[in-house]
Amino acid sequence: MSLYDRQEVRDNCGFGLIAHLSGEASHRLVRTAITSLARMTHRGGIAADGRTGDGCGLLLQKPDGFFQAIAGAEGWTLGGRYGVGMVFLSRETDKAEAAKTIIDEELERETLSVVGWRQVPVEPEVLGDFARQTMPQIVQVLFNGPFGWGSKDLERRLYMVKRRVEKRVTDDPDFYIASLSNLVIVYKGLCRPVDLPRFYPDLADIRMQSAICLFHQRFSTNTLPRWPLAHPFRYLAHNGEINTITGNRQWAKSRSYKFRSPLLPDMAEAAPFVNMSGSDSSSLDNMLELFLAGGMDLFRAFRLLIPPAWQNHPDMDEDLRAFYDFNSMHMEPWDGPAGIVMSDGRFAACGLDRNGLRPARYVVTKDRLITLASEVGIWDYEPDEVIEKGRVGPGELLVIDTLTGRRWTSWDIDRELKGRHPYKKWMDTCCRRLNSFDTEDTLETGARDLDDDRLLLYQKLFGYSNEEIEQMITVLGETSQEPVASMGDDAPMAVLSSRQRSLYDYFRQMFAQVTNPPIDPLRERHVMSLATCVGREQNVFDEAQGHAYRVMFQSPVLVYSDLQQLLNLDSSHYRHVILDLNYPREVGLKAAIEELCRRALAETENGAVLLVLSDRNISAETLPIPAAMAVGAVQRILVENSRRCDANIIVETASARDPHHMAVLFAMGATAVYPYLVYESLGRLVDEGILKTTLREAIRNYRKGVDKGLLKILSKMGISTIASYRCSQLFEAIGLAKEVTELCFNGVASRIEGAGFADFQEDQEQLARYAWQRLHKPLSRGGLFKYIHGGEYHAYNPDVVQALQKAVRTGDFADYQVYSGLVDNRPVACLRDLLRIKKDGEPIALDEVEPAENFYRRFDSAAMSIGALGQEAHEALAIGMNRLGGFSNSGEGGEDPERFGTERVSKIKQVASGRFGVTPHYLMSAEVLQIKMAQGAKPGEGGQLPGNKVTAQIAALRYSMPGVTLISPPPHHDIYSIEDLAQLIFDLKQVNPKALISVKLVAEPGIGTIATGVVKAYADLITISGYDGGTGASPLTSVKYAGSPWELGLAETQQALVANGLRHKVLLQVDGGLKTGRDIVKAAILGAESFGFGTGPLISLGCKFLRICHLNNCATGVATQDETLRKEYFAGVPEMVMNYFRFMVRETRMLMAELGIARLTDLIGRTDLLEQVEGITPRQKKLNLAPILETVPAPANSGLFFRERNIPADPGRLNLELAERFAPAVEALAGGGGSFTIRNTDRAVGARLSGQIAARHGNRGMDEHPIHLLFSGSAGQSFGAWNAGGLHMVLTGDASDYVGKGMAGGKLVIRAPLGVAYKSHEAVIIGNTCLYGATGGRLYAAGRAGERFAVRNSGAQAVVEGVGDNGCEYMTGGIVTVLGDTGVNFGAGMTGGFAYVLDESGAFTGRVNPELVEVLTLAGRAVLLEHLRGILNTHFLETGSQRAERLMTAFDEHYAGMFKLVKPRTSDVETLLGHRGTSPQETLAEVF
Amino acid sequence: MRQNVYQFIEVERLEPQKKRIERRRHEFVEIYHPFQKRQVEMQADRCIDCGNPYCEWKCPVHNYIPDWLRLANEGRILEAAELCHQTNTLPEVCGRVCPQDRLCEGACTLNNDFGAVTIGNIEKHIVDTALQMGWRPDLSKVQPTGRRAAVVGAGPAGLGCADVLIRNGVTPTVYDRHPEIGGLLTFGIPAFKLEKTVMELRRRIFTDMGIEFRLGVEVGRDVAFADLLADYDAVFVGTGMYTAMRAGLANEDAEGVYDALDYLIGNADSLLGMKRASYPYVDLAGRRVVVLGGGDTAMDCLRTALRQGALDVACVYRRDRLNMPGSAREVVNALDEGVRFLWNLQPLEIVLGESGEITGVRVVGTRLGDPDERGRRRPEPVPGTETVLDADCVIIAFGFTPSPPPWLAENGITLTGRNLIEAPAGGRYPFQTSNPKVFAGGDAVRGSDLVVAAIAEGRLAAEGILEWLEV
Repeated sequence: MSLYDRQEVRDNCGFGLIAHLSGEASHRLVRTAITSLARMTHRGGIAADGRTGDGCGLLLQKPDGFFQAIAGAEGWTLGGRYGVGMVFLSRETDKAEAAKTIIDEELERETLSVVGWRQVPVEPEVLGDFARQTMPQIVQVLFNGPFGWGSKDLERRLYMVKRRVEKRVTDDPDFYIASLSNLVIVYKGLCRPVDLPRFYPDLADIRMQSAICLFHQRFSTNTLPRWPLAHPFRYLAHNGEINTITGNRQWAKSRSYKFRSPLLPDMAEAAPFVNMSGSDSSSLDNMLELFLAGGMDLFRAFRLLIPPAWQNHPDMDEDLRAFYDFNSMHMEPWDGPAGIVMSDGRFAACGLDRNGLRPARYVVTKDRLITLASEVGIWDYEPDEVIEKGRVGPGELLVIDTLTGRRWTSWDIDRELKGRHPYKKWMDTCCRRLNSFDTEDTLETGARDLDDDRLLLYQKLFGYSNEEIEQMITVLGETSQEPVASMGDDAPMAVLSSRQRSLYDYFRQMFAQVTNPPIDPLRERHVMSLATCVGREQNVFDEAQGHAYRVMFQSPVLVYSDLQQLLNLDSSHYRHVILDLNYPREVGLKAAIEELCRRALAETENGAVLLVLSDRNISAETLPIPAAMAVGAVQRILVENSRRCDANIIVETASARDPHHMAVLFAMGATAVYPYLVYESLGRLVDEGILKTTLREAIRNYRKGVDKGLLKILSKMGISTIASYRCSQLFEAIGLAKEVTELCFNGVASRIEGAGFADFQEDQEQLARYAWQRLHKPLSRGGLFKYIHGGEYHAYNPDVVQALQKAVRTGDFADYQVYSGLVDNRPVACLRDLLRIKKDGEPIALDEVEPAENFYRRFDSAAMSIGALGQEAHEALAIGMNRLGGFSNSGEGGEDPERFGTERVSKIKQVASGRFGVTPHYLMSAEVLQIKMAQGAKPGEGGQLPGNKVTAQIAALRYSMPGVTLISPPPHHDIYSIEDLAQLIFDLKQVNPKALISVKLVAEPGIGTIATGVVKAYADLITISGYDGGTGASPLTSVKYAGSPWELGLAETQQALVANGLRHKVLLQVDGGLKTGRDIVKAAILGAESFGFGTGPLISLGCKFLRICHLNNCATGVATQDETLRKEYFAGVPEMVMNYFRFMVRETRMLMAELGIARLTDLIGRTDLLEQVEGITPRQKKLNLAPILETVPAPANSGLFFRERNIPADPGRLNLELAERFAPAVEALAGGGGSFTIRNTDRAVGARLSGQIAARHGNRGMDEHPIHLLFSGSAGQSFGAWNAGGLHMVLTGDASDYVGKGMAGGKLVIRAPLGVAYKSHEAVIIGNTCLYGATGGRLYAAGRAGERFAVRNSGAQAVVEGVGDNGCEYMTGGIVTVLGDTGVNFGAGMTGGFAYVLDESGAFTGRVNPELVEVLTLAGRAVLLEHLRGILNTHFLETGSQRAERLMTAFDEHYAGMFKLVKPRTSDVETLLGHRGTSPQETLAEVF
Repeated sequence: MRQNVYQFIEVERLEPQKKRIERRRHEFVEIYHPFQKRQVEMQADRCIDCGNPYCEWKCPVHNYIPDWLRLANEGRILEAAELCHQTNTLPEVCGRVCPQDRLCEGACTLNNDFGAVTIGNIEKHIVDTALQMGWRPDLSKVQPTGRRAAVVGAGPAGLGCADVLIRNGVTPTVYDRHPEIGGLLTFGIPAFKLEKTVMELRRRIFTDMGIEFRLGVEVGRDVAFADLLADYDAVFVGTGMYTAMRAGLANEDAEGVYDALDYLIGNADSLLGMKRASYPYVDLAGRRVVVLGGGDTAMDCLRTALRQGALDVACVYRRDRLNMPGSAREVVNALDEGVRFLWNLQPLEIVLGESGEITGVRVVGTRLGDPDERGRRRPEPVPGTETVLDADCVIIAFGFTPSPPPWLAENGITLTGRNLIEAPAGGRYPFQTSNPKVFAGGDAVRGSDLVVAAIAEGRLAAEGILEWLEV
């Protein structure tokens, strides 16, 4: 079994709907939908054959005229109420017939009479090879319903028919019911949108009429897409990814016994309701289908599944909040990123999840059509046809009732919903909230229960160490922050260790990358919630009776007073029982867990609601069951026996102490955790005076810190609420035996076997012996985080570091061999240490191996920014790599243009989420552009460069102010999904067509699938990082618990790429803890042809692995900005780095000679050259590394390593035209102009020209000789990306997302055509994430912008007439003027620049995130007022905005007082304008 | 909490103040003033708490140095003392006599560029202060196992072993032929480096912990080794290395030629107010003294002679200053106090006067050749550079060779070719000899080495004994 799982599917896409507002059906609407879909082809994926699409399709109202005509031709009689099923059947006749028979039977059973089966006409010739080979038989079944049934009645029975049929047809993978309804029908297939009406001639039939049409274009991360997975599903089409899907599925399963509806008395027969694997969208569709079939209306169903972020929303009233609170007790959010369009035949709806990470723009035209899609301008209406333009915002739902012609906005819907029942009253009477320990000083802290001796005993028994108490518990108790560490994790993973490691150590946190984004839990706190609720759940369908006795609290990490309050609750609704986790050792761990499960089940059957699993009752004769095992096993038994939703699992455990431990417990099923031994330990620290605070404060701090840590872990997966995270099992287990995962963690990926119950019991025995029989012994010192003698092995221990430093200084290969001997003969520390290179080949002479020069181009230094490293170290590394012929990586932080074109240049330029210093000039100076999706030390998290490291020089490179903290967001705000990555790759290739585009990923299960998608997005190089890489500063639990070993990630990626026939199109690189030539050989065998090194070269340059990089006091002068340390104490020279690589190459060549391999590429995929060696410890011996060594044969015309360039489908024609036409003008600094029409398929327009300008003249060199370009139409994404000085583009029309992304100079103007029907400040003119990472230039947009306007802007000046949520997020410079409404969370993480906002409603201040910024009025600030007036004037002159004109006319008497100024608290209002335009020249001039 | 992450740049490394030269040149008291509390806190804060604590790694007993530096910085002296004792039996001794410049401080990340953290003196401060405050090891949680062990030799190895044993419930009885514990710590190392009161206090502490000392009892003479084997559950041998090495110079046996160790022991006895025939007190007041050798023992002799009032004290060494084996710090102290160093001279003969009295030492100049197998450059005589140095007496400090007592072999304990006891650290039970019941460590096993190395071996051997006894 290989690591790559073909069932693993992820997809993202383009989507939309067109509806006639009054329900007038037409074929024109269908045609328009199809052409619109074709205009979004770039958002979909195409397979290697160039024609097999990842799938597209339409959902229509059942076209009555069409089917009447068909029936007439066939001689069938359709009744007044008839339905149509669209069915995919096997091409094997037997199977197809069997399925048809089943459908006939089940329809008959529901008294529905089959009228006939129709072979749907198809044209397979238009399909690609793969699609044709897998094409099912496509048929339609027509049937009549009994006279007198309503359409909803029929739909409901059809739901049962469909579920019964699906359950009966089991061994037929082709069988699929695309739709079965009397209201709608779905046509979908694996073809390109443009081919859809050719494949289905039905769709070209003008009788095929509908008033609603949903359409969808899929981008799958898989090259073997499946027909059934094309969208739309039965009710919806989805763009994005349901991040919470694993938890949602678990809960759907757990909860199914609670679902009852009088409308569907036999509902239980339909269970399971939700599929457990495959596409997340289809699961969501399943749930929606069930809700609707059960009688719920579309409004409540959608708001229940995908609620807005109600807990912290500033504009939410109490009744509405009560509605959401009430409903949250029945269902956890299915959170996106999700853009959903859906229809039941009457209503057409579009909704976004709370984060609003998918775009949804709509246009209403005079012919009463509403067109809603991922992009604007997808069909060619004329400007004077448009009567309204808008967008659906985060957490919003837009519904069109085609029957009544009414349009429902979110606000209408919410008002309707909250008025249906007295939710507020219900909540007040039945739902209690725990008194909060954080705010009420009267609540008890709980005195210390254990004296010092007993405490020590507990600590020893549960594996505490002094290191952990000092580095983790004390720090949390004192600062409420997780400690920060640097230089990654170089200790063995738990299963490889020869010590007793906690069970929690076996779990690696999963994180979002590429196909879905992580969230920023700090700056976007408003969408996050840890609110937890206990009590019996009720039936979601039965609202009136459904109000239950429930208790809510704000954090699932309990303190003493919380637990006491819970245990003292009224026992008729909250009876609790304490289940002891300590078992007599002779019983054995496994039997003890089974017994615990029996007890837990019996107690819930007996009416217990709170199951308290407690390990407090220890004794010398017993051993505690590891809490996570207990939770997982109890969770499983309760779900299997339909009891989980009547009980809550509360864990009272000594074993949990850091956020990771808690997260494991919650993910495995715990409702709440009471970490009593931490509180006891804190008590002692306070008593001893070590913690200089009260115990109350220490406990508050600790919990606050753990809460933050939990939010961070959730947000890594893009999950907003603990409710959606609970039971999600979002961990990979590394080194757990099947017996353990089966009993306790069923469903958690554990791919290489490992420790079993006996091993864990033995660990516990050892700890018990030390605790009970060695009373006099002190607590262990630790050694897990840092090297401590006698503690855990560390790969960069003092011996290794000193040996390497000696070798690179002497340049003597014998010295190097001492080093590599220390590494190669270490105790097993990595999975590769258990893989031996076989020596049974025919050796060749050393000089037959390809020469050393061939190797150096395969070596990169890992991304380390100047900012993390001092300038001297950064340049020494670059020079060393360049002289060798390797590549150094700029890291995320810009680069001094002085270095471009010299030997100090970094040939790899990184593009990371902060986009610091990512200008066109920077991009043009690169041979490789690396998109950092995640980094090994903290995948799924953002970074922060503390103000004290932001020196004048660093600030200049990053276009910010010295001393100001710089924040990198967790996600790239232009990559929330795979098609967004494709877009960024496209953008970068437009700017710099010569550069290779590289995508850096971190190993985790499913990375093969992601990598496949990345290749389909036209990346040239993929880097797989292991968990052990990483030099940057990062929270300690992220260093220790996130990311997998690269051995797994690389092997999975290689297997996936080879299996999908894509490996030969991409270079594969590995990095993470590579140290010697032996590592290189092993990595090559597992699939890598390129190798990244971070720590090794640093150590060569003098780094002593001090792990204090984050403190700026690096004594070796490597990782510091301190002038003294850098200048006087950095002693590295490029030769040291070069020596290191020369040694490794020599060693690699020697190993290759022994193996008889002449070229490195001949090693790739030769897993037969590796064999697993038996480990030392019992658990090492149980590891099964065969999945890593699995070989996958390459399909024909493919290969095992890189052979041919990955040429994108879209060359960017308009850009080519512009580049060609204006090249001479650029060359001659002559300026010029021209006008062009533009449409949404013209993406990144201007980028190539900007690249040429920057390459020739730098970012601003053409300022004085501008090129003026005029466009009309709807621009595609990334209009004006990385715009260079001297490029002025005026667009009459509108634009999609990412306008002015990375803009460095020049001017972008977007204005509506003259004479349009709508008001500019009410219409959306540009999309989401505009000016992301801009460093200069000006943008004038006469209309509203979408979410995250000017995110990470550090220099651009912009005027818009309204923005969505998260405006000016992470901004560090520039000026933004907003002449209209804003969304919530304005100015989050903003540390520089400022904004003027027109606040007509007076609600603006509440929508600002006040953490870092303040809101001022302009009263008395005459200079600023005049500055603003000037801005308005320019905006008017550039765009002709009537809004601006009006504001200016009544500026002094009316509007001036309405403007608010938003600025960082740290900026001085008096000098705001002094910092205007923080171009590097100005900043430097100011500083030097 | 650490105060200042730049402390190591802003505050220089500082050692405690030495006493005035006039005073220290004459008195047998430690030459350093104790560190002040504030100094300790400031100096301890210079530690940058490296991810790789090279100090701890280099230390033979692997003291948790960064941890107790932090505790010292925070003023948590008792916890620091507790932690010092987790890894070390005689931390206050190590703080005084370890050559830190070759161990922890030499390995300190800051050593090359900024000056190492003053680890040794802080260690000394921690333990002295804690003991002064009345802190004593807490053995209340130790459950007695009822097992007993004999420890032969109350030097650092034996004490290390006994300490670990008693802390794990095995009762040790320590035998030593000297009248005080400490071995060379008491009788070899002069009081200006380690005052005699230190070991006296330690003896009381050990005794209170439950260690029984049988002092002045020589195994093989006063008690038979076989009896120990019979009476105890296990035996540890830490007999050290005492036989002085000779160079084979002419007239080595003349009157006025002294073995370094005998000379030092005689002096120590006299300071302790006792007199033993085997170690007569030698007073070098008014004499011209030449000490042959360049190790720490040579330094001790030189500085003892100075304090006795010798007229002239000269050190004759075959290599140069860089290649001296002794602690660089002690060389500096000796120079300060007035010792004359004569480098690159090799002694050839002790020159006698007519009445057989010493008149001088004939030496030849040397230059340094290629490194030997241990990396030290070999001195080669330079022909034609012979001279005679004037001297009244000569102390020979060429080092020691093992003096294995006969009862080892008699009881089945194998020796190596170099007459050392065979007790491998990496054996099934660390430091077990070929007689399973007998464990050994210290100089008798590894040859002449540092105090701290002996302590480390004694402690590891105790762990071996505990494991072997299955307690």
